Amino acid sequence: MYNSPVLYDQSETIKEELTFNDKRRKHLIIYDQKAVSDIKQVLAKDSQEELEYEHFEIEKSVNLQDLRTLLYSQKIGTHLYIASDWDHAVTVFTEAVEAGFTEDEIQTIIYGPKRRYIYCMKCYNTSEINYDDEVQCTHCDAHMEVGPFFSKVRKGYIGYPFIPN
Amino acid sequence: MFKSTNLDMFTFPFTNFKNKTYRYSNDLVALGEDNVNFMKITPEYKVQIKHKREKLDKQPDVRYQSFPHTMEMQWEFVELLIDLAVDKYPEHFSIEKNGDQWTFSNHILEETETFIFGDESSISLEPYDMIGRHFHHDFMLMVNRDDNFYLEVAQESFAALFSPNWNLGMSFNEIHGPVPFVSRDGVELADRIRKFLLTIEPGAPRTRVNWNLMADRWDVNYETMDIWGPERHKVTKENAGKLVHLRVEEQWFIRMPRSNAILFVLDTQFLPLEDLVKRPEWLEITHFNLADIPDYMAEYKGMAPFLPQSVEYLKNLIDTIKVK
Ligand code: HEM
Ligand SMILES: [Zn+2]
Repeated sequence: MYNSPVLYDQSETIKEELTFNDKRRKHLIIYDQKAVSDIKQVLAKDSQEELEYEHFEIEKSVNLQDLRTLLYSQKIGTHLYIASDWDHAVTVFTEAVEAGFTEDEIQTIIYGPKRRYIYCMKCYNTSEINYDDEVQCTHCDAHMEVGPFFSKVRKGYIGYPFIPN
Repeated sequence: MFKSTNLDMFTFPFTNFKNKTYRYSNDLVALGEDNVNFMKITPEYKVQIKHKREKLDKQPDVRYQSFPHTMEMQWEFVELLIDLAVDKYPEHFSIEKNGDQWTFSNHILEETETFIFGDESSISLEPYDMIGRHFHHDFMLMVNRDDNFYLEVAQESFAALFSPNWNLGMSFNEIHGPVPFVSRDGVELADRIRKFLLTIEPGAPRTRVNWNLMADRWDVNYETMDIWGPERHKVTKENAGKLVHLRVEEQWFIRMPRSNAILFVLDTQFLPLEDLVKRPEWLEITHFNLADIPDYMAEYKGMAPFLPQSVEYLKNLIDTIKVK
């Protein structure tokens, strides 16, 4: 659906470190190789006997078939934790939303840089950007000021065009 | 650039601009019976349609956006517009229905549209785009989902700071993210207005008027900011009367009975500041309001670079009249 949540660098689901939401019955943790040692530590330290935990380790790349089976088999009350690099997190997040998870039920912990995109109001293409206030479109070279507003449909921040003097 | 020539048809002054100076508020009001139907043919009709169709033809991605799943609503929109047009101006518009075979005639432009109602393959444009090109308004269709409204179809050629392409699929709250919605009492407004919109019922549309000033240009959107941004600085207190236009956007919010969507209709009208002398009372009100626009609002509306010059121009104009 066009108004479904998407993962972007300001997503409310992104947290600094994994903290279990103790209001949920079950915790599903999906992590990749970058997060593996952290996750094992947290589980050893914080897991409680009366709660249910399930994990899914991403080895090299995501096996979509397995991921979907796992996500669709979850019952209401499951909280999802994604701990991985950006690209893996986007894949898992998108599949989870597709499977019916809401943002309230997802926590994301990103290892490494988050990706950001700008939507050029001159040519309607997106370009990847860093944290500069002003950037240039990689498609049409327009100079743009990076606005604070994000479109889920365009998957980028608004780029206000200007002519440099 | 067109301007309104029949001032009796120019929507001014309006609620919220009359008694106190202007602040953002939930200024939606019920419509008088004679104004529920938004159709309005002014002396500028042909110029407006020409402008609108040029924009749509030259910049289809900028001016028109829709989701593919909206066809049923689009036909509902076609029917609504034809009904309103024929009802208000039977001398200008007519419809002939032969089962699903419809022929809509626009007698002002001497054009006909023949199509099978409900069948997109019978026309070359999308239904909403096709019928919208006969009227000088901008049309946005906001679909009601989970207590919010989402922009699913938009045809826009006149409204200020509106981009169908950028706003497509956004909720009411996301669309208004850039607006500094500070009310007189400091209350956060977007949610209050959204909740009010939820209560609008079919047959009882609401209205409000939005306004702005433009410097020598009527097309002011984010896509062309690089051009009009710098141009605003050429306004002086001497040339403001010609360059600066008062822009009035009369808006209707109509609940569509079948789809439950809210149709947002805008009628954008322009008047150069110098023409305000024709109605001295309007001149006073405009000056009174512009002299008290808070900075955050002037910034957002894009008029900060030429607002002081415009206020001074109006002040001098008022003085000249008084001397006479
Ligand atoms: C439901 C359909 C509506 C749509 C599609 C819509 C759309 C928009 C858009 C696109 C903008 C410009 C935002 C930007 O700068 O990017 C805007 C501005 C604004 N809207 Fe709405 N709007 C709607 C309803 C309303 C209602 C019901 C109200 C008030 C009761 C309202 C009040 C305003 C105000 C005050 C501004 C700032 C305009 C200015 O100061 O020049 N809108 N709207
Ligand atoms: Zn570009």
